[in-house]
Amino acid sequence: MALFENSYRPYEGGLTPEWARFLVLPRYALRDVFGSKFFTAVFCLCFIYPLVSAILVYLRHNSNAIAIMQIDVRELLPIGASFFQFFVEVQGWLAFILTVLVGPVLVSRDLTNNALPLYLCRPFSRAEYVLGKMTVLVILLSLVTWAPGLLLFLLQAYLEGAGWFASNAWMAGAIFVGSMTWIVLLSLLALAISAWVRWRVVAGAALLGMFFIPSALGGVVNQLFFTRMGNLISPAALMGSIWRGLFGHFRREVGSYEDAWGRGFVEVVIREPPLWASWLVVALICLACLWLLSRKVRAYEVIK
Amino acid sequence: MTTRTTNAERMIVFEGVSKFYGEILGVNRINLAIAPGITSLVGPNGSGKTTLMNLMTGLLRPTRGTISVLGTSPHDPEKLFRKVGYCSQFDSFPPGMTGREFIEFYLSVHGYTRGEVRDLTQAALERVSMQDAAGRKVAGYSKGMRQRIRLAQSLAHNPSVLILDEPLNGLDPMARAEIIRLFQSLAAEGLYLVISSHILHEVDMMSDSVVLMHNGYVVAEGDVHGVRGEIEEHPMQILVRCDRPQVLAARLFEHEHTIEARIHDDRRGLFVRTRRPDDFYLLLNRLVTENNLKVESVAPADDDLNAVYQYLIVSEGGRVS
Repeated sequence: MALFENSYRPYEGGLTPEWARFLVLPRYALRDVFGSKFFTAVFCLCFIYPLVSAILVYLRHNSNAIAIMQIDVRELLPIGASFFQFFVEVQGWLAFILTVLVGPVLVSRDLTNNALPLYLCRPFSRAEYVLGKMTVLVILLSLVTWAPGLLLFLLQAYLEGAGWFASNAWMAGAIFVGSMTWIVLLSLLALAISAWVRWRVVAGAALLGMFFIPSALGGVVNQLFFTRMGNLISPAALMGSIWRGLFGHFRREVGSYEDAWGRGFVEVVIREPPLWASWLVVALICLACLWLLSRKVRAYEVIK
Repeated sequence: MTTRTTNAERMIVFEGVSKFYGEILGVNRINLAIAPGITSLVGPNGSGKTTLMNLMTGLLRPTRGTISVLGTSPHDPEKLFRKVGYCSQFDSFPPGMTGREFIEFYLSVHGYTRGEVRDLTQAALERVSMQDAAGRKVAGYSKGMRQRIRLAQSLAHNPSVLILDEPLNGLDPMARAEIIRLFQSLAAEGLYLVISSHILHEVDMMSDSVVLMHNGYVVAEGDVHGVRGEIEEHPMQILVRCDRPQVLAARLFEHEHTIEARIHDDRRGLFVRTRRPDDFYLLLNRLVTENNLKVESVAPADDDLNAVYQYLIVSEGGRVS
């Protein structure tokens, strides 16, 4: 038996709080992401529309500019729920492009490099890993969606006055909730696809397919059966309904047609699925993504 | 009861541990108590070495049984990973990182502050002699440098237990000797090093104890010489270098515990196989005196890990990897 001196002393200093450790992942990942000039360029382009919107809001309140241009910007550009809803939709789709660029490698790179054991042999759980990776997208997408949206809202409130702010404060909530719902859906879908598809190009294509193929299928169902229930399988249509609901523009009756019934014709109303159904399906998609992640984000994959 | 608790806090203990992957056996009915020093896990591919290490680090949960690492359950990562450092066998490096960033990143995940991360990283790099190459990208490292940087990340947080899966793979002889010296110095300080390796003669040289595994079972454990002594079906082989081996062989065959005596190819030595080595050594003393033999050396020829491995694993159907 060897004689051991026991002179070794383990580290006994302080540690960062447990809750904050997942933030190490976005810190390093964002540095990598912005190492790409192409991504940085696309990211910068995402701020063009917020900038144009801010200029329009400013012009709308600048009497000199209105006089010089000799047009009534107030008529051209009413600033209200429709304006901010359009803003959320435009920025939402730009966020989708950013997700396609960043999302596919977030988990797949660690799986390909067998790096998960390295993360998980530390005081770091699978949930923290997923949260850390998700935070990369949440930070990036927030910067182009609700963050400029709220700034725009505050600019409008500042120029319009306290009365406008008081009566339209709910719109700030709609901007935030609508954008965050979209961000969570995009992030979870991107991470789930990244965990299951290791090839970056295929993962990117899969993410695009997740939105466009169900949309096309839903459209076919809607056309064939004179319904809007096909929208329930289309994430894009679901989010469209949610955004309209949040900004107060959601209507269930979207059209009608005449159908033979007995000896005469009756008018059949085409209805959108109820708003709660859209929320429910989005929540179910998110849960499915979490389940898919829980199957893949493990220290070791058991192959049966 | 108190003594038992104290022992558990000083050892890595497996009690009736089994791990099944569905219907596939990973390890079965493992009972082990690993003391400080270097403990080597030895066995062919698929014998359960990596499973055992993953169970120790909580990366896998046992199907049955309990594990305690210095009194801590592997399912309490916050406590466990302050004590444990793990180096997997995989060449897993996030792309684009330098050696220093690689260590710093995982120390940050560990929860150290930026200042501590910097200091601990520097100390770990110095420990594995990688401080000069730390600023270069890992992608440009040789295999030996990658092994060393992985080793550095596993010991950077000053753990009490180091679990190293194939840490000598890919190292040239000089680097291996250097790393083994590092292991020995860590063990001498009181660390627990659990190492898996296929390089038997080096395991033999550095290990305080070995755990031989085969098909998910622990075949033998303990000091190599002790294990060898207990393998009764394979008589001990001893090489006696002397001037007249044929005379010695003739006299040895007069005794029943001599099973085989074979003259060395150079005719200046004799391989003897005996069931009772202690009796053999006493007899040898007598025969040397009686026959006036000139003996240069007497040494066991199969009292090493390689022989133990051959007898317990290869002859039982395992394959040397």
